[in-house]
Amino acid sequence: MRKYWRCHVCNDIHFGIKAPGICPTCLQKDAYVEVSAQEARGVMSVIETTVDKAAYADAIQVFAAGREFRVNPDRERVDLLLEGMFNNEGNHGLKYCPCRMIEKDFEKDLALICPCNFLNHDTYQDREDGECWCGLFIKRRNDE
Amino acid sequence: MSKLVMFHGRECPHCRKMMPLVDKMIEEEGVEIEKLEVWHDEKNADTMRSHRDLITAKCGGQLRVPTFLNTETMDLFCGEVEYEELVDWAKR
Repeated sequence: MRKYWRCHVCNDIHFGIKAPGICPTCLQKDAYVEVSAQEARGVMSVIETTVDKAAYADAIQVFAAGREFRVNPDRERVDLLLEGMFNNEGNHGLKYCPCRMIEKDFEKDLALICPCNFLNHDTYQDREDGECWCGLFIKRRNDE
Repeated sequence: MSKLVMFHGRECPHCRKMMPLVDKMIEEEGVEIEKLEVWHDEKNADTMRSHRDLITAKCGGQLRVPTFLNTETMDLFCGEVEYEELVDWAKR
């Protein structure tokens, strides 16, 4: 079961089964202590960050850089998908994929937040022309 | 509800691509099909979720849009297909 962990040096928050051995923010070794969800939320509320569509478009480019997939070069498609994701975040709380429907099972629906774990999906895995279901990410060709 | 249903999402590119084909089929083949947008209409979303087991079994374990469902025979597919395949499904 995943828990919340806080770096006692820099207050970095981690959500996972176990604490990181080295804090990625301050590089301190063995620095995490388990904390409550309330404390984790409290620490994270210190800084309010926003990621608008343009910032998210940049973020997914960084995410895909140097990997076996890239962001679809079809700008119109990407813009439509971003519009859907941000509408879903506004209407349903999270940036759910516009090409699938939530089941109203929160844990299960976490798998639909973009970027999802599409690498093991039938539309991507073992396919030369693999892509995530919505087509936001597509597998690079060998010459790319 | 009509016998044939298309569950779609307003901002889904697959759905946008299929919509003109569905409209063409309605016009040229006289097929009746109900279009239910699911991301901006909770009632439609609930209708789609009521077919969860059936849809997920044939759509990679997910409630993907577009999903085309014959509510009488429960024959369904999801995603993009050629026009001929769409008509074939509708007339089966």
